[in-house]
Amino acid sequence: MLKIESAVKTFFKGTPQEHTALRGLSLHLKPGEFVTVVGSNGAGKSTLFNAICGSFYLDAGAVMLDGKDITYQPDFRRAKMIGRVFQDPMMGTAPHLTIEENLALAYSRKHKLPLAPAITAKETDFFREHLAAMGMGLEDRMKTKVGLLSGGQRQVVTLLMCTLSTPKLLLLDEHTAALDPQTSEKIMEITNRIVAENHLTTMMITHNLNAALRTGTRTIMMDSGQIILDIGEEERRGMTLDDLLRMYSQKAGGEFDNDRMLLNKDNP
Amino acid sequence: MSIVLGTAQLGLIYGLLAIGIYISFRILNVPDLTAEGSFTFGLACASMLATTGHPWLGILLAVAAGAAAGLVTGFFQTKCQIHPVLAGILTMSGLYSINMFVMGERANVTLIGVDTIFTQISALLPGLDKNWVKLLISLLLTAAGILLAVGFFKTHLGLCIRAAGDNETMVRASSINVGHVKLVALAVSNAYIALCGGIIAQYQSFADINSGVGILVVGLASVIIGEVICGRRGVTAGILSAVAGSIVYRVIIALATTYTMLPAYMLKLISAVIVAVALSVPAVKSAFSLQKTKRGGV
Ligand SMILES: Nc1ncnc2c1ncn2[C@@H]1O[C@H](COP(=O)(O)OP(=O)(O)OP(=O)(O)O)[C@@H](O)[C@H]1O
Ligand SMILES: [Mg+2]
Repeated sequence: MLKIESAVKTFFKGTPQEHTALRGLSLHLKPGEFVTVVGSNGAGKSTLFNAICGSFYLDAGAVMLDGKDITYQPDFRRAKMIGRVFQDPMMGTAPHLTIEENLALAYSRKHKLPLAPAITAKETDFFREHLAAMGMGLEDRMKTKVGLLSGGQRQVVTLLMCTLSTPKLLLLDEHTAALDPQTSEKIMEITNRIVAENHLTTMMITHNLNAALRTGTRTIMMDSGQIILDIGEEERRGMTLDDLLRMYSQKAGGEFDNDRMLLNKDNP
Repeated sequence: MSIVLGTAQLGLIYGLLAIGIYISFRILNVPDLTAEGSFTFGLACASMLATTGHPWLGILLAVAAGAAAGLVTGFFQTKCQIHPVLAGILTMSGLYSINMFVMGERANVTLIGVDTIFTQISALLPGLDKNWVKLLISLLLTAAGILLAVGFFKTHLGLCIRAAGDNETMVRASSINVGHVKLVALAVSNAYIALCGGIIAQYQSFADINSGVGILVVGLASVIIGEVICGRRGVTAGILSAVAGSIVYRVIIALATTYTMLPAYMLKLISAVIVAVALSVPAVKSAFSLQKTKRGGV
């Protein structure tokens, strides 16, 4: 499904700020796989998503999606197949457009003629139904500007925008980080439901190691631009948080103590 | 009476300019300096075709010319990655030569005694006063312009333009080519501006190579006056209030020139002051409220 081959990305090459964010990273995802991605701040998790989405082109390596080489495909073309919830709640929605208009724009991926009406009555009903399923009362605020919503509500709208027209690959970058624990729980349920219903191939970044182990079918851990742990379905079953931390400390050595805090062990 | 009619006519025709500026300045969120060149481009095309006996064709050509000018600026912005303001300046500057060429290497062209859309329609309505016919034509043309713009921004492409001015990342993530969207927006915006130029040339039966100087500020003043009156709301309201702002702007100018000793050349200064004051309102407001909070807090 998704194949990344020895991806390399260096920012500010040839300057004193030179920083290699991806160091020959390779990853293969099978169709329907749901991978959770963990790793400390700056490990390169968001950069990996950026590389998959084409926010920049790789310095070396290749990205294949669904058997097609998309290494040099511009970002907006790839977006046809990839749904993405950004880490920053401001990124995924247009603040001065209404919820309905944001959804309509995202849904237009399904093909829409330029001079067709922006939103039809049928679409409005369709959006309302899906918003209602989110259970956050947003279906009554479809004419509200998205900029007036809270960060968490915006992430929910973005999640819906990504999944309305079923993508081939769904990328979630700490999409529940801005939410309170209850809402976060609820959004994880919704995420799991949407992923299961549509058999979506999914990658989810999280700092919540418990959630990472409980969710999906596979967990990878990143550190300084590389995958240092790749735990498959069998191995993950019955694995505890401490097992994971122990594996990490073995791999990452002395950095463990610094990173323990960042990995947010105490989250429920 | 005739000054009232004249003000209304000008206000309505320049309403088309205000719509064009509204599209680039408020919807796309970039001040587009192409306006100064594309206004004159439309004016030049419409007047030259009028002199050959095709006033309506001239208006159509003006629209096409403006769209082309917008596409060039869009090309600079999106493909050449030139800063939006600089891209507009480049097109505007280049257009000076082109406009000179279109006008047959003359700095001005007069259309006295030449058929224009205004004289042609007046001839069809012999019973009516010329000034009222002019008002009617201005009203119809601007109403058509408003309807088209309002309709356009209700389409999918219109929504894409609004989103592109709001959050480019989101538009790209929705699999829409932001570059193309910007090209279309700049073409539409400048088509309106050039259309205004074309109608103005035939309205005043005169075209001057320097007509476009300061036109961006005139358009901005209209848009901002409209917002002061009607507030900032949706796009439909924004388009209507831009036209309303254009009419109020003409009233202000008419009052300033009739009841004060101000010579006509001071108008550009007045416009610039109006825009500068209006744009600084938010900053002044927040400074005031900060002072209030500070005093209240101690
Ligand atoms: N556009 C960019 N330009 C320069 N450096 C960048 C850019 N994007 C990321 N980096 C650098 O790459 C490294 C990895 O960043 P990245 O955002 O991928 O981390 P992350 O794993 O997502 O961390 P977090 O958990 O904090 O979100 C960081 O050191 C960052 O400074
Ligand atoms: Mg990140």
